[in-house]
Amino acid sequence: MRRPARSAIAIALIVICGILEIAYSQNGKPAAATKAVQVKLPLKDGSLRFAVIGDTGSGAKEQQQLAEVMLRYRQAFPFEFVLMMGDNLYGGESASDYKVKFEDVYKPLLDAKVKFYATLGNHDESNQRFYDHFNMNGNEYYSFKKDKVAFYSLNSNYMDPKQVKWIEDELSKGDAEWKICFFHHPPYSSGKKHGSDEQLREVIEPILIKHGVDVVFTGHEHFYERIKPQKGIHYFISGAGGKLRPGDVKVSSLTAKSFDKDLHFMLVEIVDDQLHFQVITRTGAIIDEGVLTTRENMIKADTK
Amino acid sequence: MKKSLINSVLSIIGIVAFCIVLTPRLSAAQDAASPEQQKVIAAFTDRVKEYVKLREKIEEAMPNLSKEAKPEEIEAHKKAFQEKVRTARTGAKPGDLFTPDITRHIRATIKGAFKGKDLKELRETVLEAETKGVPVRVNYPYPPSKETVEMPPTLLLVLPELPKQMRYRYVGHQLLLVDRENGLIVDYMLDALP
Repeated sequence: MRRPARSAIAIALIVICGILEIAYSQNGKPAAATKAVQVKLPLKDGSLRFAVIGDTGSGAKEQQQLAEVMLRYRQAFPFEFVLMMGDNLYGGESASDYKVKFEDVYKPLLDAKVKFYATLGNHDESNQRFYDHFNMNGNEYYSFKKDKVAFYSLNSNYMDPKQVKWIEDELSKGDAEWKICFFHHPPYSSGKKHGSDEQLREVIEPILIKHGVDVVFTGHEHFYERIKPQKGIHYFISGAGGKLRPGDVKVSSLTAKSFDKDLHFMLVEIVDDQLHFQVITRTGAIIDEGVLTTRENMIKADTK
Repeated sequence: MKKSLINSVLSIIGIVAFCIVLTPRLSAAQDAASPEQQKVIAAFTDRVKEYVKLREKIEEAMPNLSKEAKPEEIEAHKKAFQEKVRTARTGAKPGDLFTPDITRHIRATIKGAFKGKDLKELRETVLEAETKGVPVRVNYPYPPSKETVEMPPTLLLVLPELPKQMRYRYVGHQLLLVDRENGLIVDYMLDALP
C-alpha cells in the first residue's frame, strides 16, 4: 500500500476513534446517558411517586449505568421508593454480593433515603428477607400502604397454600383505592424463553380479580412488556434492570408495548384515580408512557 | 354502577374461576388420599416436624438474626446454622424422611393431578431451570449461586403441606426437601417428575 493511502486510513481511524470517544465517554457511559431528562409525568403536589426495577443483581457496568440514569431522573422526579421485581442478587449471596450488586450500585439513592421494597426471584435466597435495605421485615411476602395505595409483595417462587390464604386475607381486608401486587414470575408474558406462567396464573388470578387488584408488576423476563389489560388488571413486566435478553419478546396478542433492546426502569406517579407511568432506558430514551385508571373506573367505563 | 355491585360481580367471577380451574386438581389429590395414605402422609409430616424441632432448637441457641440485618450478619448466621445442623445430623441419609411409602404416594399424587397440557407445563417449568451442578446430597447445602426452580402453586396444592421452615425444591427429576434458612438438603427422592 502506498504511503498517502496508509496516511488516509490512519487519519480515518483517528477520526472514527474520536467519534467513538465522544459517543462513549471515558467512564464507559453510553453517550445518550447524558441525554436531557424528560419527565412526562404530572409531578402533582401530594402525589405518590415511585420507581420499578427488576432482575437487577448482576453487578455489571450496565446495571450501574442504568442506576445513574435513575439518579438523574430522581432529581427531576423525586420518587420516594423503589419496587424491586426479584433476582436481586445473581450468582451468590455473600456479603460482597450484596455490596457489589446492590449497595454500591444504588448508593446515591440509598444515601438520599430512597427505600427499596424487594420481592424474591428464582435467583434469590429466602434469607434476603432479613436484609435491612430490602425492607421485607423478615417476611417472604408482605404488604405496605402509602396513602390510598396498598402494595402486596408475593413470593412467586413458592406460592403454597399458606401464602395463598395470606394474600386472600390481606386483599379482603384492604380498603385502598389502589391495590398493586408485585412478584417475580409474570402470569402473562410474550417472552420466548419463559412466556406466561400459567400455573401461577391459575392460582393467583382468580384471587386478584376477586379482590379488585388494579395493577401487577413482575420481572423474570429480561425485557419490558406492558400487557393489554387482562380481566380488568394491568400487567407490567419490568425485568431488565441489570440483565437483558435481547430480541426475546415475540410480540403477541397480549402485547400493548414491548422493548427488549436495552435495560430500563419505570417511573410511576399516582394522582387520585390515575396512575401515570414512564419507562426509561439506560441511554435515557423513553420507550413507553401512559396513564391508567383504577380497575373500578375501567369497569365503569366499559359498562357505560 | 355502584361500588358494591361491582365488587359483588368481581367476587362471583373470581370464585367461579377459582372453582372451575382448581377444583378438579384438588379433588384428584383428595381422591388419592385414602385413609391408609393419610396415615402415610401423617407419618411423613411427623418426620418433617422432628427435623424442624431439631433445627429450631439449634437456631434458638444462636444469636437472633435481626429483621434489619447487614449482609455480613446474614452470611455468618447461615454458615453457623449450616455447620451446627450438619453436625447434629451426621449420618443422615437419603430416605430418612422420604421413606418408600411417602415417595410412592407423592409420585402417584403428581401423576394423578398432572396430565396432558398440565403435565407438559409442569415439566417445562421444572426442567427449564439451570440446576446442573447442584450436588443432590443429604446434609449438603443447595449452592446459593444456583437458580432455584419455581415450585408451581398447582403442585404445592397437592403435595403434603410443609412447615414454614421447609421447602420442596426440584433439581431435574428429583424432589428435594430443603431448609429455607440454612439451605441444607434435608432429604430427596428420585423420579418425582412424571
